[in-house]
Amino acid sequence: MGKVWAFFVRDFLWELSYPLVPLWRWGGIVFRLVTFYFLGVLISPGASSYLAPYGGYYFPFVVLGLALASFQEVALTSVSESISYGMHTGTLEIMLATPTSLSTIVFSSVLYQFSIAALEILLYLAFGAWFFNLSLAQANIPATAAFLLLALLAHLPLGIISAGFLLIFKRGSPITVLFGHFSALLGGVYFPVQVLPGWLQSLSFFIPFTHALEGLRQAVINGKGLLELKTPAAVLCILAAVLMPLSLAFFAWAVRQAKRLGTLSQY
Amino acid sequence: MRQVAFELNPGEILCILGPNGSGKTTLIKLIATLLIPTEGRIFIHGQDTIRRPMLAKRRLGFITCNEWSFYGPLSGWQNLAFFARLHGLDPRTAIPPVARLLKLAPYLDRRFFSYSTGIKRRFDLARGMLHQPDLLLMDEPTTNLDPIAAGEVRDLIGRLREEGKTVILVTHRLGEAQKLGDRLAVMTAGRLHEIRPSPQESLEDLYRRTVQEEGGALG
Repeated sequence: MGKVWAFFVRDFLWELSYPLVPLWRWGGIVFRLVTFYFLGVLISPGASSYLAPYGGYYFPFVVLGLALASFQEVALTSVSESISYGMHTGTLEIMLATPTSLSTIVFSSVLYQFSIAALEILLYLAFGAWFFNLSLAQANIPATAAFLLLALLAHLPLGIISAGFLLIFKRGSPITVLFGHFSALLGGVYFPVQVLPGWLQSLSFFIPFTHALEGLRQAVINGKGLLELKTPAAVLCILAAVLMPLSLAFFAWAVRQAKRLGTLSQY
Repeated sequence: MRQVAFELNPGEILCILGPNGSGKTTLIKLIATLLIPTEGRIFIHGQDTIRRPMLAKRRLGFITCNEWSFYGPLSGWQNLAFFARLHGLDPRTAIPPVARLLKLAPYLDRRFFSYSTGIKRRFDLARGMLHQPDLLLMDEPTTNLDPIAAGEVRDLIGRLREEGKTVILVTHRLGEAQKLGDRLAVMTAGRLHEIRPSPQESLEDLYRRTVQEEGGALG
């Protein structure tokens, strides 16, 4: 636990040294909320049957989409960013010269960013509730927490694979960038997936973000529990169970390759 | 890298000289488990660095002399605390002894990027010694230091020998190698040649001859 704590403290102190960065980020949340609040005013309740499964209001629908999209972005990029910094400064080599396992370095490097991303989801909901009449009375807290965790476990492997690409090719996987765009387009951040043509809806089923967001919305807006949401929960569990060991194995292989090729550092 | 074979005893200092690009840093990184050899084995106090890297890493201190390998906005203490925890140590007990040894106490609370090159180098040495390793790998620790700071680093290396630490020191400074090294070696084109200066042949002449005979370029 001491090693995990070391990474958390390091990243907290780093953030503390640039106090304006989180303020800018949180300011961005407020701007997005204001924008989508007024967009939501345009769409009167019940105007679209597509929103009926989500309580009929656009604002809570899109707020949850935005919040989970920022969470997903952290999952896809944070490991690569951490590894990239370590490669360019030489800190990765120093860490690997200590008796610290690779998995500890990978997971601990992103722990703080995920804590902040989870806090920002709470900020989305809190700002929405305080200033824009977002109702959270129905929210099922355990199911909400479970879907956030599952979203993390299903997306983090893609970020780990991208970091593996970075070690070998000096560039993150372009698939990860595309994945972020596809998730925003097909995963239902701004509009329900049901709006899409049939073939695109079928495609969206294969994106973990679709299931994570569906589960999160149903848990927060309609107060559904895990038992009622077993389909999206099961899909995310299976994806996490399959992808996590694969991604860690790929990353370990990438580190071995980097050690053979001498590409662990780029300074 | 070919035909590299040597054994070091506790308290010995091996100084490795050689032209740029001859493989000195590669050798250091191979021992530090940061590179995997295509063939051959490396043992540190009997621990195979490939098969049991975690045990080997506990015995070695890696001093890169890369001042960027710290977190600039964090203080010296916070940097050392981070790396101490990665060694499984309590920073409150691990940092004070090395801070005393390297006279770092006045600088611990300042941000790392505000330090001079000499102070950064001392932090680098401190980081590599936090866990009291038996073997220290040093890659050009006096490069870019003023004569007084370089002299202090050399004194420290001398004291490490008295404490029974084994040191592999990569350097371009022939005088430094002659002063500190119990054994001297020249690396050229990935090959390591142990050399012994004599009254008949100075270290500089021997170094030049070794590099030229082995087809290396004096850089």
